[in-house]
Amino acid sequence: MKSRRILSALCIGVFCFLGTTTLSHAGEPGKLLMETIDKGLVVLKDPSLKGDEKIQERRQKLWKEISPIFNFEEMSKRALGQHWKNRTPDERKEFVELFTNIMKDAYIGKTDTYSGEKIVLIGEKQDNHYATIQTKLITNKNTEVSVEYNMLNNPGEWKIYDVIIEGVSLVNNYRSQFNNILIKSSYKELVQKIKEKKGKEETAKK
Amino acid sequence: MRKPVFLMLVVVFTICLCKEFVCAEDSAIPEGQPVKTAQEVETPIINKANEEGELKPIVQAGQFDKTPKEDKTPAITTPEDEEQENKDDIKPETPLVKDPLQPYNRAIFAFNDKAYHYFIKPIYTGYNSMVPEKARVSVRNFFTNIKMPVRFFNCLFQGELKGAGTELARFVINSTVGVAGFFDPAKSKFHLQRQERDFGQTLAKHKVNSGIYIVWPFLGPSTVRDTAGLAGDAVLNPISWVSYFFLTPLEGFGNYSYDTVNDISIDKGQTYESVTKPAIDPYIALQDAYVQNRIKKIKD
Repeated sequence: MKSRRILSALCIGVFCFLGTTTLSHAGEPGKLLMETIDKGLVVLKDPSLKGDEKIQERRQKLWKEISPIFNFEEMSKRALGQHWKNRTPDERKEFVELFTNIMKDAYIGKTDTYSGEKIVLIGEKQDNHYATIQTKLITNKNTEVSVEYNMLNNPGEWKIYDVIIEGVSLVNNYRSQFNNILIKSSYKELVQKIKEKKGKEETAKK
Repeated sequence: MRKPVFLMLVVVFTICLCKEFVCAEDSAIPEGQPVKTAQEVETPIINKANEEGELKPIVQAGQFDKTPKEDKTPAITTPEDEEQENKDDIKPETPLVKDPLQPYNRAIFAFNDKAYHYFIKPIYTGYNSMVPEKARVSVRNFFTNIKMPVRFFNCLFQGELKGAGTELARFVINSTVGVAGFFDPAKSKFHLQRQERDFGQTLAKHKVNSGIYIVWPFLGPSTVRDTAGLAGDAVLNPISWVSYFFLTPLEGFGNYSYDTVNDISIDKGQTYESVTKPAIDPYIALQDAYVQNRIKKIKD
């Protein structure tokens, strides 16, 4: 009688154990993402890094925290679309660098006006090597912005390859732009345009 | 009698402890080096996914009529290129929207952009410095509450009875407890979300094609369908009825502009800048963002 009870207790325990471990496995990319976001928020909330004069320092720290979770090569590849395969390795390398810079400016620049927005995990879907993490950004004006992260498991590491804000995919947005330019002009001109933009921004900052 | 319960607790407790350890190990993996087996590293992941027919399209379903499936035939290339080839092949190059009026649209876009930066932005930054944010949000709440029939009827037209009910409840709560709509207790206290429904969506749900892309002066990006939607919404909007019957055209226009500027001052201006500023071609960036966003809203 007693042994049977112990057995049933063991069984229940084992089932609990199995149940929770599979759950924690499924949540791996989502957990990683939320951890990274939290690290970023720590930088943004750091009182010693507040203020306009600390902008560069804050941006740099934030970039160090969040950039490892992005797969910039994959993003560049997808943003260039069909035109990627015609590029030489050197051109690809240069393009990844340029695109990383665009992302950096677009993403990090937005955090300058951070004022207590919250990021909440809504759900996640995982399909083999791909995962979609749905989050919600709640502003202090009580509006909600849906932000989805598409992640890819590239050997053993989950990394973001696309961010979808209110249905607008970042990578698709740039692909439309690049395509439109490449229909009319050469790849060289596209690179020229990207560099020009970067140059313009730098002169505007000074 | 108590013993087995105690035993069970002990077992569960130890298992929980074990779980903690496993979880700690789990979370350690993604941070560290790729500790995956060599076999997994060697097999090109994308190809594997491709064979199974599970490669995720980059574009969400419903955005294109043709799924990228037919493009998935693996190209015959050198092995090291193969991985990339497959990925590239799934990119459909069909534009999301037809834009035969592009030269005209680009001109209007340039005009709107200038108008935004040199006319509307100075107005709203001045307005921002005078009116605190809380007051601006209240003003928006007020206008949003008045425009409830737009959302209510479009919910009905789209067959969303539950949404229509939510809108009705929101209107009753916000008009009374929310002091004529200046506050939004329906959301903060009753968790009733606003139903973003407009006539453009209604048309889309009834299988009306989006038509060509149009940029309107001041109003910004639109399509033929969404322009018709704007007209439909104007008919459902009580503010336009009040303007038509009780106000002079100038007063009506002032009313409308105030609502718009107030809206821009809260977040629309920021949204516009965050789309166009980091873009290489701001015109295309805004067009793409508009169309992708509309597709999402119609799907929801």
